[in-house]
Amino acid sequence: MTAALTVTSMSKSFAGPRVLDSVSLTVEPGEIRALVGENGSGKSTLIKILAGFHLPDEGSAEVGGESLLLGHGEASEAAGLRFVHQDLGLVNNLDAVDNIALGVGYPSFRGRIRWRQERKRTRAALAELGYEFDIRRPAGSLAMSERTALAVARAMTPRQTPAKVLILDEPTANLPAAEAERLFKLARRVADSGVAVMFVSHHFDEVFGLADSVTVLRDGKHIITRPVAGLTEDQLIEQVIGRKLEHVVHDARAAERRDVVLQVAGLGCDVLTGVDITVHAGEIVGIAGITGSGRDEVATAVFGGINRAGQVTINGTAVPPMRPDRAIALGMGLVPAERHANAAFMTSTLRENITVTRPGIHFRGGLLRKSPERSDVATWLERLDVRPRNSEFTMADLSGGNQQKVVLARWLRMKPKVLVLNDPTQGVDIGAKSDIHKLIDEAAADGTAVLVVSTDHEELVRLCHRVLILRRGKVADEMTGGRMDHDLITAATIGRDRPSAA
Amino acid sequence: MTVNEHRPLDPEVEPKPGQPARARRSLAAILGLDRFSGLYVWAVLILIFTLWVPSLFDTATNFRIIAGSQAITAMVALGLIVPVACGAFDLSIGGTLGMGVCIVVWFQANHHGFILGILAAVAFGLLIGLVNAFIVVKLNVDSFIATLGMGSILSAGTTWVTGGFQVATGISPHFTAIGQRQLLGLPLPVYYMVVLAVILWWMLEYTPAGRYLYSVGGNPQAARLAGIRVGRITTGAFVVSGVVAAFAGVMLAAELGSSSPDVGVPYLLPAFSAVFLGATQIVTGRVNVLGTLIAIFLLATGVKGLQLAGAPGYINSLFNGVALIIAVALAVRTSRRKA
Repeated sequence: MTAALTVTSMSKSFAGPRVLDSVSLTVEPGEIRALVGENGSGKSTLIKILAGFHLPDEGSAEVGGESLLLGHGEASEAAGLRFVHQDLGLVNNLDAVDNIALGVGYPSFRGRIRWRQERKRTRAALAELGYEFDIRRPAGSLAMSERTALAVARAMTPRQTPAKVLILDEPTANLPAAEAERLFKLARRVADSGVAVMFVSHHFDEVFGLADSVTVLRDGKHIITRPVAGLTEDQLIEQVIGRKLEHVVHDARAAERRDVVLQVAGLGCDVLTGVDITVHAGEIVGIAGITGSGRDEVATAVFGGINRAGQVTINGTAVPPMRPDRAIALGMGLVPAERHANAAFMTSTLRENITVTRPGIHFRGGLLRKSPERSDVATWLERLDVRPRNSEFTMADLSGGNQQKVVLARWLRMKPKVLVLNDPTQGVDIGAKSDIHKLIDEAAADGTAVLVVSTDHEELVRLCHRVLILRRGKVADEMTGGRMDHDLITAATIGRDRPSAA
Repeated sequence: MTVNEHRPLDPEVEPKPGQPARARRSLAAILGLDRFSGLYVWAVLILIFTLWVPSLFDTATNFRIIAGSQAITAMVALGLIVPVACGAFDLSIGGTLGMGVCIVVWFQANHHGFILGILAAVAFGLLIGLVNAFIVVKLNVDSFIATLGMGSILSAGTTWVTGGFQVATGISPHFTAIGQRQLLGLPLPVYYMVVLAVILWWMLEYTPAGRYLYSVGGNPQAARLAGIRVGRITTGAFVVSGVVAAFAGVMLAAELGSSSPDVGVPYLLPAFSAVFLGATQIVTGRVNVLGTLIAIFLLATGVKGLQLAGAPGYINSLFNGVALIIAVALAVRTSRRKA
């Protein structure tokens, strides 16, 4: 039997180390292959090469036994490769019919689009995948699994050449569990029709529940390809992170417990359900989870920046949702993720960026006094070692790490009772990162209750007294003391949801 | 003008840590070519026209004419700064001004007295501000569309109130005195304009409200997460521009001594030109009071000079249109360099 896809010693580097280092793999028709690895292991690069987006430095690929012309999107398409990217690539205000036609063109007769035939084709394509919904609804109003199905249907719609390999890039990243289940069935149907399916995933339950075989990449290298049957979760995790996992006995070193400051009960939003969090004075609690676990939302939800269900209290006083001003008045601060979008005023001065939460204290006698404001800000710039140390520079004049310090200064200046941080050192250089960690430590030492959400698990180990693990919108695990190891955290975030394993 | 003296003058100069950035200022920066370019251009324009049409241009009378004729435009532009500072457009200011004129004249034509008329006109401006804010904040309609529609509605309103004709009956001489009397050779509206400019300058630069306005305009999402009530700030901004436009309408009525439909429309574009051109001055990249005033008089001088030199009447619209486009292009360039 001819392999559906063969990749031979593929290498690629972007101005520096190799992100893909002589990777070879083969996928058979009808096989479902999971491609796993940590961020930066080379999965995305490999897929982008196959899609014709990047040109590899070395290596070749064959689809159905025929050599693939690399670096041309149309050639990949013509060879029979079909892609569903993570963002699905749907146009939200167009309906299913139009979205499918965007991929393959409209069937027309003498220049007129044959709508009836078009709708028939769309319904048939979706029915084949086991989906039936109103195809005239705009894609943006469909459920996530329906949107995913539509993207798969588009990929699988016949063109000049038949589909030979369907490649899915983290197809369930944004899917709730029940919808992910439907996607599994869908992928199985595609594979049963003789098409090879390769999917990138961070969810181990997907790997074990769906894939026939798994390929692990690490640091751009091919580590192993083997059938899923007979593989244990721990073995797979070891392959992914490249070290042996050590299960340390729960260290019950109880941190000195002071009063509860932040109490979150039954927190919910579209991706979170029933999350409970308790943070004591002086305690730093971490939250880890993969994308789609609710990790992105939890910080903003606690702060009240998005609508939420459940109860959030500070020292017993309830914080209303959707009222950041009330949350701040009650002593909460939020350093949000994605500084540029959510925190920085790029064209404003550092002074204005820092005092924005409370400029009023320098408003005396009908005037906002700028010289006391400047010295107020100067103290903070000095304490956080912001460079250049000039309150009148604009935010845009600063490096990412210094910008992040300015945002942090904004909140430290408020002397918060509760400080919530979301990826506080994202895109920050190493020096600034360790400075920021020290500042967070100091804030906690002063009695602030700190909640840190992070994608950087070493950061969580460095900072936190306790780490909560989010999986599929729920707190799935809690780690303290010696169990707090970044590999163990990584393993816990991607681990399978065992029925009441606790 | 001392407000932001510590702002880095040239964003291209990368400040090195520990090294004073001021040491590396270029000559252009020392002369303030970037922040005060408007003043230089203004001086050049005056020089050119003085040499070109010396008999007509270089007179004190001309200065007074320009100042007087621009007082109303300047007031509308000053009011417009506030919504633009918080990232919203108010295209209904021309219509609000027109309604202000019509209301104050209608009250006098119907023997209700001009004081009641002035109060009614200003109250109307406040109402329009609130309605605009409701549409933008609560109904989430883009401010450009919301106020464009409102402008059209108000333009219909002026025709309805005036019956489509010029109204000049029953105007009190006390009322016209407000707009026509002179003090030290300058018409009174120039002084009102200066008072308004001082109030707005104080509000924008020296109160927390001003800080909130610029923050919302700079990054509404960040402003919201920093605890600023974005909806309230936006509402306040529309109320200011509405009240100021209606008040400018009252002044215009006092100057003209009459009302006619669509009298406000010609004030819209010059106000926008001035506000955006003003954003390239003094505090670069930010709409501001002094920059706007410089822009108003720069534009007016240019138009007046060309008219005296024999340019046709349409030069006004042409000049303002070109200035608006150039101003926004410059503003975009500045913000690109910064972001």
